[in-house]
This record gives sequence, structure tokens and C-alpha cells, in this order.
Amino acid sequence: MLQHAESRLEAGERIADRLSTDLDWNLHFHAGLIVLTSQRLLHVEDGHFHEWKLATVDELVLEELGPTTALHLMQDGKAVWHWRITAGHLREVESFISRFKEQRGMAEVGSEGAEEDDEELFSPEIGSTEPKFAGRPLLRLITFSRPWLGLMLVGLGLTVASTGASLLGPWLTMSLVDDVLIPLQSATHEINVQKVYQFVGGLLGAAVLTWMLQWATTYVVARLAERVTSRMRRATFEHLQTLSLGYFNKKRTGDLISRIGNDTDDISLFISVNFIDFACDLLTIIFTAGVMFTINPVLALAALGPLPVVAWLVQWVRVRLRGGFAAASRAWSAMNSVLTDTIPGVRVVKAFAQEKREIERFRQHDQQIFDTNDRVNRTWSFFEPTIAFLTEFGLLVVWSVGAWAVAHEHTTVGVLTGFVLYVTKFYSRLDAMSRFVASAQRAAASAHRVFEILDVKPDMPVNKDTRKVGRLRGEIEFKDVRFRHGTRQIIRGLNLKITPGEMIGLVGPSGAGKTTLINLVCRFFDVSEGAILVDGHDLREIDVMDYRRNLGLVLQEPYLFFGTIADNIAYGKPGATQAEIIAAAKAARAHEFILKLADGYDSMVGERGQQLSGGERQRISIARALLVNPAILILDEATSSVDTETEREIQAALDHLVKGRTTIAIAHRLGTLRKANRLVVLENGVISETGTHDSLMKHSGTYARLHAAMVEVNHA
Amino acid sequence: MKLSLTGSNLSLIDAVGVRHDNLRPVRLFPLTEPRHWISLVDEKGHEAACIDDLDALDPEQRAIVEAALARRDFVPVVKRITAIKRATEGHDWHVETDRGPTVFRIETDESIQSLGGTRLVIFDKAGTRYLIPDVAALDHDSRRKLERYF
Repeated sequence: MLQHAESRLEAGERIADRLSTDLDWNLHFHAGLIVLTSQRLLHVEDGHFHEWKLATVDELVLEELGPTTALHLMQDGKAVWHWRITAGHLREVESFISRFKEQRGMAEVGSEGAEEDDEELFSPEIGSTEPKFAGRPLLRLITFSRPWLGLMLVGLGLTVASTGASLLGPWLTMSLVDDVLIPLQSATHEINVQKVYQFVGGLLGAAVLTWMLQWATTYVVARLAERVTSRMRRATFEHLQTLSLGYFNKKRTGDLISRIGNDTDDISLFISVNFIDFACDLLTIIFTAGVMFTINPVLALAALGPLPVVAWLVQWVRVRLRGGFAAASRAWSAMNSVLTDTIPGVRVVKAFAQEKREIERFRQHDQQIFDTNDRVNRTWSFFEPTIAFLTEFGLLVVWSVGAWAVAHEHTTVGVLTGFVLYVTKFYSRLDAMSRFVASAQRAAASAHRVFEILDVKPDMPVNKDTRKVGRLRGEIEFKDVRFRHGTRQIIRGLNLKITPGEMIGLVGPSGAGKTTLINLVCRFFDVSEGAILVDGHDLREIDVMDYRRNLGLVLQEPYLFFGTIADNIAYGKPGATQAEIIAAAKAARAHEFILKLADGYDSMVGERGQQLSGGERQRISIARALLVNPAILILDEATSSVDTETEREIQAALDHLVKGRTTIAIAHRLGTLRKANRLVVLENGVISETGTHDSLMKHSGTYARLHAAMVEVNHA
Repeated sequence: MKLSLTGSNLSLIDAVGVRHDNLRPVRLFPLTEPRHWISLVDEKGHEAACIDDLDALDPEQRAIVEAALARRDFVPVVKRITAIKRATEGHDWHVETDRGPTVFRIETDESIQSLGGTRLVIFDKAGTRYLIPDVAALDHDSRRKLERYF
């Protein structure tokens, strides 16, 4: 389409921007292309071609319509053309419109149009996604074992050796029968007793050698498997830590836990047990087949007769099992999700007397596990006995063909005995191999689920040449900040400058964008447009870790990790001395209640600090923020009211905390509101009022209304 | 700062000359730093003073604090685990401690907690705390028994 548009260009006309559209006016998927040149706007669609001179066009109007957007072309005050595009491409549309405005301005003054680098214009079109790693999950496991290549080779060598050793037995048996037992029975020759000892001794030696080699193999391979899966678990967790909050908001905790826990375990089992077995089996099968053919091709051919049937069966089962195991893994995840949901939420469950409902929910998910496993078992239960039957059948063939051959003196009893031993080995290995099919499918499904996490690209582009900022003064400036989450525009053009040490109280109805604003300052998300500057640096250009060292965060619902109180206070500064910890706790008014606990600062606080009250947890999190001595403090006050005594304690702790720091507080407490240097009222993602408490009260706008409501609630 | 102990009354005359009576010594880090950070708390639960290092006090003052601490100190140190037997709820631990042999019952695995490194603290059903300062220093048999639970 681009070539088509290019062919229409006039001399001296340059392409300034282009926009791919993916819908037609009736909202059916349909590719189109709008090209902006220095003089015209071109539209190409299915070989149709429209053009408008830039000078005649008034403007391009964007209309957001939920999951789609419309772009209207205005001429003489009327919409003369419309395009529809899915909302995922909103950014491109907006940049196209601004480019259009530039070009149109230039067209009016008659300039030739801006020089633009063509590189960017030829970026991938709408709809093309990055190619994902398509490698088979099991093959990809090998990349994880690369650091232990030596160990892998040792394991492989041991496997070959132990398999070879295990085949010595039947070979010796063959000679034992022909050279010793048959002559012994027919008594035609002088019996050499020495020979019997030799053979029995040889058999014993072969058995011992096999035993030792197998021992070594199993150990080496199990060790390798543990290493590989441990690396996988760590890599997955490390990768998870690099992902943004956005990813975690979308994911179910139970599912992630199950992927890192259960799925890697499946893989470990596969490598350590099944894979090694498989290699042994394969080698045994090849070796035995080779041996059998060299001894007697006719017998060998007869013995291997049922092989094609087996091969077909394996393939059939493989296909059926693959889906089954993937479904089972998903069912496990779903059940884990129910558990991680219900167990921490048990208070809510009990308070609303919904135990029965949760039991039912669990039962349904458990039923799903049962059903998927049942499905796998049904395939399975048919498969294994069938292989066993085919083994018997193979033996039967060998016995009958063998009997005929011995009778016609084509072969000896010894050879036949050896054959029976080899065939038994052969088919028993085939049986084991079929089991391998199942575990391989299970491991493949698991590996796929683990790699799925590893393949998630961090959605916040990491800027390579970021600056280290060190200690900040704490000046924050919002420059026309916009933020969009999916198709929802949450912050719509926000301008605000906060001087170092200033305390800003954010006020506004819920959904106004207060929490989003805080998330942007913490750089949990990047702004969609505009910029946030701290001490004059664009937030996107400075090192995130370095920047966050300047941040202190006190959340509505303080999160305490499982560990001692001292550990929790020192979370942001692991090397803190006890004196520092105590000082922080004292400043946060936490010291005295900690004194009362049996183990003082060594007291364990549970998964969510269950033994502590809300106010106590709040104060520990304040101490945590104090200890890192942040330049910028982010405060998300709890809405719930606490008793006046606690309120006073928390207030005193907060007073200590905000002193001399740039503070952005989502304020709910009247004390905080009065104390703030400036209150910023947010409504629908824009600032509607700013000023001190007193000036805003006089103004009798949104703030006065919110304040009245707050006072009413507090006195109710 | 001057401490005195008369009968069960631990009192303190602080730096500005104010007298505090009926103080209670509280270890802030009883498990990790038993000889540091000892807070002296009055009857209302307010801290009157805090001793950051017991060994930095002069011997006479130290003896006073130690005597006051000893009155309420009870964290037996486990020297040997003789047996761990399954009970109807939880397990009965038969141990030898620095305060003599005893039996206590613990209810869940969470009752055994690591204090970093090889230090363990065990909470029995009644809330008494037993300390194993160094798991590696236990005898082989005790370690084997412990291994099954922690």
C-alpha cells in the first residue's frame, strides 16, 4: 500500500507521516493507509485512492469510542471523511494528528515541509507483532543446561557404558548354553568345568559392572537435573522481579506460584528420571536390534515384527496426551488460584458466611483436575497393557520361528535362548519408552508455561544510558502529563510544580487519578505523554533503582513481610544498625508498642503482620520509610478512621516523617489536609483547584464540598 | 544515670536528676542481641532510659541490671533433643536445656522459627520460648531428630 501511495507522489512531495488503519467504517477488520505528505493527505484502501490538499482541510478530529477510535476529516466545518481504528493504536493516531497540524501549518506558509528521518516512517505496520521464540520448549531446556556441559557429557558417556554393559549378559548366556550346557546334556564331549566357572564369573562381572555404571549415571543425571531446574526457578523469579506492576495486576498469584513451583518440578523429574531412562532405552533398543541382526537376521526380523504397530500406538498416544497434560497443568493453576484467593481472604469468607460457596468453588476446580487426569488415565490404561500384549506376542513369534529353525538346524538352542533374552529386554524397554512419552508431554507442557513467563518483555522500556542521580533535592514537575491505561484516559494533561520540601495534599473523588499519579511518580508506570521531571531530570532518563532510593512509600495497607519487626523496619536499608532501627521506630511512635511484645524487635510478624493492629502496622511502615531517609515521600493515607489515640500517634509519626521532605500525600485525615502547604484537587484526571486549606474553604468549590462530607463522616 | 535495686524496685535517677521507680528491664532484641539494647520501662509502659551495651556499664551497675533481668528471664537453651514424639495435637519434645530436662509441646511447624543463620527459636503451646543458639553445635542424634521438623 505504501508503494501505491508513493507512486502517487508529485515531484518535491515528501512523506511526513503515515498511519495504518485496521478497521473500515462498519467496524470490520480492514487494512488501510493514510499518508501525510508535505502537501496532501492521501488515503489508500484496496487500490482506491483519495486525496485532500492540506490547505483545504480544517482539521483532523479524534473521537474516542471505547475500544475503537474514530478520526474525522473536517473540511469547511463539516466532517467529509471518517476512519476507524482500534484503540490500541491511539498513540499513533495522536502523533499522526500532531504531525498533521505541523504539516498543515507549514503548507499554509508555503514551506517545503520538514526534513524527517525516513527510518521511523518505515517502522512496522499495524498488526505485525514481534516474532516470538518458537523453539520447542524441550529443546530450549538444553540452553539452560549449557553451564554444565561437562556434566552432561559425563552423564551421556555413563549412559552408553551402562547400557552396553547390560547387554553382555545375554551374549554370555548364548555361549554358556551352546558351549557348556548342550554338550553337558548330550555328553558327547569332555566337559570343561573351568569353562562353567568362567561363564558364571563373567555373568556376575557383567551384572556388577552394570550396577555400578547405572548408579553413577543416575547420580550424575539427577544432579544435573536439579541444577537445571534450580537455574530455571531462579531465572523465572528474577525475571518476575523485573516486570512492572502492570503485569502483576493482570496475573493470578496462584498461577505464577504454580508455574515456578509445580511446573519446574515436573521438568526436574523429567530430566533426572525419564530422560535418562529414555536414552538408555533407545540405546538398548538399537544395540539389541543390531546384535540380533548380526546373530540371525531371520529370527531378528520375526522378533521385530510388531514394532510398526508399537510405533503407531506411541504416536497416537502422544497426540492424545499432549492436550491432556496441558489441561491438567492449567487445572492445577486454577486450583492454586482459588487457594491463594480464599486462604488470605478467609476473614471475608467467614464474615459473610460463604464457606459453603468457597467449598463448592474448590470442589469445581478439584473436579476439573480429576476430569483432566481421568482423561489422561483412560488413554493410559489402554496403552500400557497393549504394549505388554505386543511384547508377549513378539516372544511368541520368536519361540515359534526359533523352534522351527532349531528343528531345521538353522540355529542352535543357545542362540535361541540369547534371542529370547534380548527380545524380552527389547520389548520391556519399549514399554518403558511409552511411559517416557507421557512424561515428555507433561514436561513439554510445563516447560512451555515456564518459558511463557520468561518471554514476557518488561513493558517498561529500559533506557540503556540512564543517568545516576544520587541524592535528590526533591523538586518534582509535572509537564502536561497524560496517562492512559488501556483505552481509559486517566490523567488528562496535568501541570504542577512542587518545590523541594513542599507538602502537597492530593484530594479528589475516588477514580479521579490520585493513585495513578502516585504510581507515575514512583515510576511504576511511564507517562503516556508529557513528562515528569525530578530536579530537572526526565524520570525516564534516570536510573530507576537509583531514583527509587530517594523515595519513601507509606501505603494505605502496609505490607509486612514474614520476619522480625527489626527486619521489616530495615527492609529498605538492610545494613541498618540497631541504633538506627530503634531511632526510626521511636520517631514513628512505634517503639513503645514494640517494647510490650514478648520478643521486642525480634518478634515475628506473620504473613501480613496479623498479630499487629492496623495502626501498629501503619507505624511500622512509617518507620520503614523514615529509615531510608527519602528526599521524596509518597503517602497514601488510610481512609478508615482509627480511634483518636491511635490517630494522634500516627499523626505525630507523620509529622516527623514529612519534615524537610517533598511529600505527596493522598490525604484523608483532616490533620494532613491542614498541614499541607498546598492542596491539589483532582477531578477526572485534571487539576480543578489548588490552594491551602483555608483559601480553598473560602472558595467553596469542590474541596469545600469534599471537606464537608469528610467532616460529616468523621462525626457520624 | 544511676541505677539502684531495693527489693524488687529497680529505680533510676536519670541525667537531669529525675527519679523513676518500679522500672522493668526489657530486652529490645532478646533473641539476637541479649546483651545490648535493654530498655528500662516504667509502670505505664513508657521508656525511662535505654542501655545500649550492658558490658559498657560499670560492674556494679551491670550487676543490678542483670539481677533485674534474671528475675523475669526465661528462655531455656536447648542442649540436646532426647526424643520427639507424636502427640494427639502436635509433637512432644523431650529436651535437655541449660535449666534441666523438660518436655514441651509444639503444635505446628510454624512454631519453629529461624533467626537467621543456624539460630532457632521454638515456641511451645504455652508461649514459652526455647532457644537453639547453633544447630550445628548440637550432637548428631539431636540434629537428625530436628531435621525431620525443621
